[in-house]
Amino acid sequence: MTTTTISKTIFVNAARETVWSFLTDKDKLGEWYHPAEADLAENADYVLFARNDDGTKKRQVWGRVVEMDQPSRLVTTFIIEPFNGAETIVTWALENAAGGTRLSLTHEGIAEAADKSAIQFLTALDAGWDNHLGRLRESVK
Amino acid sequence: MNASAQSHAAQGAFRALADPTRRDIVMFLSEQDMTIGEVVDRFDITRAAIKKHLIVLEDGGLISVHPIGRERVNRLEPLGFKSVNGWLNHFNHFWDDRMSKLATAVEKENLKKQHEKKK
Repeated sequence: MTTTTISKTIFVNAARETVWSFLTDKDKLGEWYHPAEADLAENADYVLFARNDDGTKKRQVWGRVVEMDQPSRLVTTFIIEPFNGAETIVTWALENAAGGTRLSLTHEGIAEAADKSAIQFLTALDAGWDNHLGRLRESVK
Repeated sequence: MNASAQSHAAQGAFRALADPTRRDIVMFLSEQDMTIGEVVDRFDITRAAIKKHLIVLEDGGLISVHPIGRERVNRLEPLGFKSVNGWLNHFNHFWDDRMSKLATAVEKENLKKQHEKKK
């Protein structure tokens, strides 16, 4: 883990299997995040969708499921448009804790991906300018 | 950089990019560093106007100016568009928000299950 790794822990009042289903089930992912194209499966690619204003789907987050150890550990790559193809890694760890679940997240590789995002930003100046500016404005709030 | 300074820096960047001429200047500088004269040659506007645009871009942290000999060369500062710190902050808040929503969603379903068991 480096100084640019994000790590978070929360306690959830539910069993690990229940929490696990919200990390891997395509519809349940949509309840707190974005719906997936299919349930997450080991070594398979995944795509999480958002909706454009006209109702069409756009891919929001995508990557590959690297490791799946139900119900204790899930590792995926995590790619977003501005990262210009650079992969970051998201790891979920689920532990039994006082009748509920201690859920820990680490997100690694953001600094490296951010270096690539600047170039992406420049090449996108012409096309999706307003879109990017809007996203940037949102993200610096 | 603290959140307020960062937000201030971002506002400077937005202001700098709000103008189409300045966006064109950024495009040119993304290909190579240029002196004011070289930038002026690519536009149909006065040197004074270009100079003003360059100052706004510099204030926004999107370009830097380097004296080389008697010339002053304008160089793009790509990280000014979004700093590494900006992305880390973004995901820091993003995951706080998402994990809180996740806990709410899980516990809601858990309550539902418990009610069904009681029936």
